[in-house]
Amino acid sequence: MNTTNELRKNIKSLIAEKKVDLFLGWEKGSLPLAATPLFVTAEDQADKAIFDVTCGNNLSIYFTKDKKQFEGRKVGIAVKGCDARSVVLNILEKQIKRENVVIVGLPCNGVLDRKKVLAKTDGREVLELIDNGDTVIVKGNGFDLQLNREEVLSSSCLACIYPDAQEYDFFIGEARGEVPNEGRLKEIEEFQTLSSLERWEQTRAEYEKCIRCYACRNVCPSCYCNVCFVDQNDPRWIGGTSEYTDTLIFHVIRNLHVAGRCVECGACQRACPMDINLLMLNRKVAMEVKDRFGDIAGLDINGKPAMSDFKEDEKQKFIMG
Amino acid sequence: MKNKKNSVLVLGAGIAGIQASLDLAEMGVEVHLIEDTPTIGGRMPQLDKTFPTNDCSMCILSPKMSECARHPLITIHIMSALKEISGDPGNFICRVIERAKYVDPVKCVSCGLCEAKCPVKIDDEFDMGLRKTRAISRYFLQSIPSEYTINPRHCLYLTKGVCKLCEKVCPTGAINYEDKDKEIDISVGAVILATGIDPFNPIGFGQYGYHRYSNVVTSLEFERMLSASGPFGGHIVRASDDQPPKKLAFIQCVGSRDEGIDKNYCSSACCMFAIKQSIIAKEHSRDLEASIFYMDIRAFGKDFDKYYDKAENHYGVKFKRSKIADITELPDGCLELKYTYENGDIQREVFDLVVLSTGFQPRQGSRELSENLDFRLNRFGFCHSDTFHPQETTRKGVFVCGAMNSPKDIPESVVSASGAVAGAVKLLDPGRHDVSTGEKEIKEKDVVGERPRVGVFVCHCGINIAGVVDVKNVAEMAKGLKNVEHSEDVMYACSTDCLEIIKERIEEHDLNRVVVAACTPRTHEPLFRDTISAAGLNPYLFEMANIRDQCSWAHMNEPEKATAKSRDLVEMAVSKARSLTPLKRLPIAIDPEALIIGGGLAGMTCALAIADAGHDVFLVEKENVFGGNMRDIFFNPDGSDPQQFLAETIEKVENHSGIRVFLNSTIEEIAGYVGNFRTMFTNGSGQQEELTHGVVVVATGGQEHKTTEYLYDESSRVITQKEFEAMLHDEKFPPGKLREVVFVQCVGSREEGRMYCSRVCCSKAVKNARQLQHKKAKANIYFAYRDVRTYGFSEQYYSELRDSGALFFRYTPGNKPEVEKIDPDDPDSRIRVTLFDPVLEKDVVIDADLLVLATAIDPLEENLRLAKMLKIPLNSDGLFLEAHVKLRPVDFATDGIFVCGLAHSPKDMGESIAQAKAAGSRALTFLKKRSILAEGTIAEVRTDRCSGCGYCEDVCAYAAIEIDLEEGVAVINDALCKGCGACVASCRCGALDLRGFTNEQLFSVFDSLEIEAVEGIL
Amino acid sequence: MSEWQPRILAILCNWCSYAGADLAGVSRMQYPPSIRVVRVPCSGRVDPLFILKSLQSGFDGVLVSGCHPGDCHYISGNYVARRKFAVLKPLLEYIGLEPNRVQFSWISAGEGDRFAKVVTKITEDVRELGPATRLVKKL
Repeated sequence: MNTTNELRKNIKSLIAEKKVDLFLGWEKGSLPLAATPLFVTAEDQADKAIFDVTCGNNLSIYFTKDKKQFEGRKVGIAVKGCDARSVVLNILEKQIKRENVVIVGLPCNGVLDRKKVLAKTDGREVLELIDNGDTVIVKGNGFDLQLNREEVLSSSCLACIYPDAQEYDFFIGEARGEVPNEGRLKEIEEFQTLSSLERWEQTRAEYEKCIRCYACRNVCPSCYCNVCFVDQNDPRWIGGTSEYTDTLIFHVIRNLHVAGRCVECGACQRACPMDINLLMLNRKVAMEVKDRFGDIAGLDINGKPAMSDFKEDEKQKFIMG
Repeated sequence: MKNKKNSVLVLGAGIAGIQASLDLAEMGVEVHLIEDTPTIGGRMPQLDKTFPTNDCSMCILSPKMSECARHPLITIHIMSALKEISGDPGNFICRVIERAKYVDPVKCVSCGLCEAKCPVKIDDEFDMGLRKTRAISRYFLQSIPSEYTINPRHCLYLTKGVCKLCEKVCPTGAINYEDKDKEIDISVGAVILATGIDPFNPIGFGQYGYHRYSNVVTSLEFERMLSASGPFGGHIVRASDDQPPKKLAFIQCVGSRDEGIDKNYCSSACCMFAIKQSIIAKEHSRDLEASIFYMDIRAFGKDFDKYYDKAENHYGVKFKRSKIADITELPDGCLELKYTYENGDIQREVFDLVVLSTGFQPRQGSRELSENLDFRLNRFGFCHSDTFHPQETTRKGVFVCGAMNSPKDIPESVVSASGAVAGAVKLLDPGRHDVSTGEKEIKEKDVVGERPRVGVFVCHCGINIAGVVDVKNVAEMAKGLKNVEHSEDVMYACSTDCLEIIKERIEEHDLNRVVVAACTPRTHEPLFRDTISAAGLNPYLFEMANIRDQCSWAHMNEPEKATAKSRDLVEMAVSKARSLTPLKRLPIAIDPEALIIGGGLAGMTCALAIADAGHDVFLVEKENVFGGNMRDIFFNPDGSDPQQFLAETIEKVENHSGIRVFLNSTIEEIAGYVGNFRTMFTNGSGQQEELTHGVVVVATGGQEHKTTEYLYDESSRVITQKEFEAMLHDEKFPPGKLREVVFVQCVGSREEGRMYCSRVCCSKAVKNARQLQHKKAKANIYFAYRDVRTYGFSEQYYSELRDSGALFFRYTPGNKPEVEKIDPDDPDSRIRVTLFDPVLEKDVVIDADLLVLATAIDPLEENLRLAKMLKIPLNSDGLFLEAHVKLRPVDFATDGIFVCGLAHSPKDMGESIAQAKAAGSRALTFLKKRSILAEGTIAEVRTDRCSGCGYCEDVCAYAAIEIDLEEGVAVINDALCKGCGACVASCRCGALDLRGFTNEQLFSVFDSLEIEAVEGIL
Repeated sequence: MSEWQPRILAILCNWCSYAGADLAGVSRMQYPPSIRVVRVPCSGRVDPLFILKSLQSGFDGVLVSGCHPGDCHYISGNYVARRKFAVLKPLLEYIGLEPNRVQFSWISAGEGDRFAKVVTKITEDVRELGPATRLVKKL
């Protein structure tokens, strides 16, 4: 809990020294599985801040989805590895100025996927959670389970390479360094060995589940258009039905819209009520972007987002000879 | 001068003539473009690709050709010649002979039926005789004008009075055997000559066996062989057995650098041409082997050395510095080359195909032309011009451009063309003009809010379309489409009577959208747009379906399927037409003044060009004197005096009423866009001043590279070429005798960190060496070089120097000359130079009294600051990067900003002058307009949807979009947007759209066939 | 009923590929009557959605063609486009769309023969695949 204490100290001094007008962190949620966002504007509020396995929220979404609030204010923000990449993208995409944000970087050990925990408790509500590192203990009415961390972490965390914030003004805690996570793409690689028809059938089955609730988009730190293309009617970009071609086109285009911008935080998948394996597409796109353009979303604050850039001599084997 | 004419005659419609015509026309000058062949375009259409970018030659040229053909101020006279010029500058009468074409261009619809039937086969000149054409033909497929002409020397009827097949098959009665040559007088203010060159003809140049051996071809023939539209469809095959060659040899300097045939000049482009061809050939077939036999590789232009390097190290082209002794043909058609390396080694090697890199020579008939028009030729038969007036002939008011006065590649030809225009425009008085917004005062019908009422016209094009497609069926089908009020089939949609019909139908049916299904919009859309515009419709309420070029001609044996396709294409066009909206081209006012940054030779020359044409110029120079690098140049090989010319130029600049000069001044900020720039600068007294102006010319210059090599910092006897020139001029030689002088070339150039040739150093060193010989007759000259790059007419001075006994030693980057002080403690010590002599294959030691270093030309560090300020790009070497290396050499992609002089790339005085005048001319094409029209098809922003992420700004090549950081939204500058739509497709928010190609319009096209497509599967 | 004729949408840039298509016709090169051409100013204008929409509305294949690298009339529009296609193409294959239904090419204004070849090739490819079904919206 050292990290949490240090974080609180850090927030206090930032507020006290007027380096920020507002600090975005997490506090304990009303339910133990998910911390809720904390807005600190006075020193004494800093003691509510926490940092643990429940801090799944990517706080950078406030920069884009609640832009007005931040105008003219200096903002501090606590970030995990993926969150930091979102902040970098927000800066590159002119949503916030670097000089107006104080980034407090944290080393992340992964965040919980609520749905995975509830699967273990058979849907029974968790009333207490203890994070023991390798294991997580969840307690509720009539149960007390010790769960392996891997079993309940968000899929995105299990494939994460950059758990530490890479861009920060202060770094709190002990950096974990890059995690090789070999085999992180195993699922994708296996999928790619299937025949075209098999892939199609699996994809179709997966996306036929979609009910077009747009939860994936709403939680996505990279989705911040004023009006999402699916909601535009003049002209209508794609059909609004949950017929699978409309649905699939929505997801493909959404993935292209976040190409080079998706930080693979997994928020979409955690939010999906239909349990669609959304990361299968995101990761594939990120993989292509990295292989082809050498770009990893949000790592380089001096770079350009992949899809706003080009090089003359890029690989183009996919072009007909 | 009284009665100034506002017109110019341009002779020769190659790229130089086309560029000159377009520049003049854009300034509001009337142009008569006279061309000998049946098409404009010149040599460029014959080229497959262009170096060093491998751009497709036709892709970049054809837009300029069509622009030329469409421009209301340009009259093209094909198959014509200029016989005589009388009168005075500003007021000439030109006698022009227009040869008979025997085809009425008004009636001809270019259907090609005549050519198909013509029984007379003749060698196709365009394809270098590698293919046959007919006595009635088009010069090449994309000829402009596109109408056919009869070759009277071969036509059976015209020569023997029989045949007349073409007349029989011509569906429009366009053949006119009675056509006669016409003589016309054209009165103009100035004349620009741009007749180009002929490739050297190696027939009778025995040693290479051209025309004796079937597998020996010239480079232009090989170019046609490489071309996808060439005689072999882009497959390289050799004549003897139609087999693709595996081993290619290129022999350089055929007809160049050859005193024996009085061609002691370098043709300047052939080295790069051969490198390009070797690369393209390798791209055709990777296992092909290509060798280039050469004396020196003269890759002296911008980015040329990188291309050379790529050919050698990436493509594996072999470069063999040797002399060809002999070529013999083997029984299988292969060719055995006997060649000698510089060390005397004799080699024999067998090749499948030999390409002779033929040089440039004056056009046939140059002498006669010079006599008729009364201008002088130089000793090689090219049109004479001098260093300081590169575009002036010896006859006042008659200018020259292109390769006619010296061998040039494409960008230099374009530069010289614009430069010639700057000279011509001084003799005219175009004044400022408004760009016509359609001039005819027809009130445009307001169709906004109206239900679409589409009219469809399906063209037969004689039998071109109707012979394959069931045109009536297509027209009938269209009647059933949503919103179609009227549909009919017409014989020739583009004929005058049909255009009248279209206008009548618009009236009759109150049409507010028109679709024509005919040929290609690339040639005919402007005509139809004008037509509906004349009927009161906004010209953008028009759509074409291409059912000829892309349908009937491509599916001649599948009439049913072609008809089905035509129906779909019409349906798609109607779908798009339905959602078309009227577009306006908004006028953008142009401030008439120019800002020129840099007061060196280029900046001053450009300032004079613009000011002499009647526009105010602000000339801003950071130093306290004008002249820049030219202040250090004292000699010119032709004997003229650079310093005198400089002094005259400065005087002209300082006394010109139209030029305001600002010395000791630094630019702080430049805001705005074409026509409307605002510049803040700190003036000589340290105060901030503001200027408003319509254009910017970047002429900031370059600087001598500061070397630390070859003991430069340690010895008074090691000096740079620039210092040496001053020494020669001041005659302040080092103490003691001056007997042994060593020149080292390429100091800092063509090596890591500066992978470019500084272009001028070889000629400059040769010039100064000759000066030294002049002043110190006893001096021995040693010249250490990598390639001697005395291109163009400088070659003659190089060979004179060589003949005079100067010794030349070639070195390689791995074996540079070694230098040491004979007395290490004495700063004035003589220098011991060790050179490897590749001829004798041993070291040669010289105790030099003086070591002269040809140091590189560097870009200025402050280029970066200016580049950011103006949002213009630099290349990897830090030189300003023009809009297009071939065809827009002094423009930036961003309108209204131009570049000239060393800021662009290293070049000599004459080239800087030419380029400065070109930049002036290009600037005048804007300044001469009171306003320009923004494009109609440009991007627009819906700010309520824009999240201000800036991707659009990043992908825009024209700096036409900026994010307003206050509002957090994109703002489009209508004046700069070119309408490519890259920003639109990059906008995830749907905040951007492209007028004329909106998402809505395109979506409706993709959806138009929906129902039918699904039915097709069921 | 005659043999099934695939219908392929071809989105061509105005300056190179559309001109190349014209040249193919002017040169009377014959190629299958399968394509339906949509002209856009530049391949940079092509939104990946165009391709998906066309497939959804029943086209059996989509060809997008622009100027060769370096030839773009708008300087770099084709490079911007290339990045989009470079991600789209493998993504479509990944989700199980037949790879040959969507193809990209560079065709210059001088390459009439190449245009004819490219159209012939994609037509053969699509013919082999048969009518599109996977992403087609059933009404």
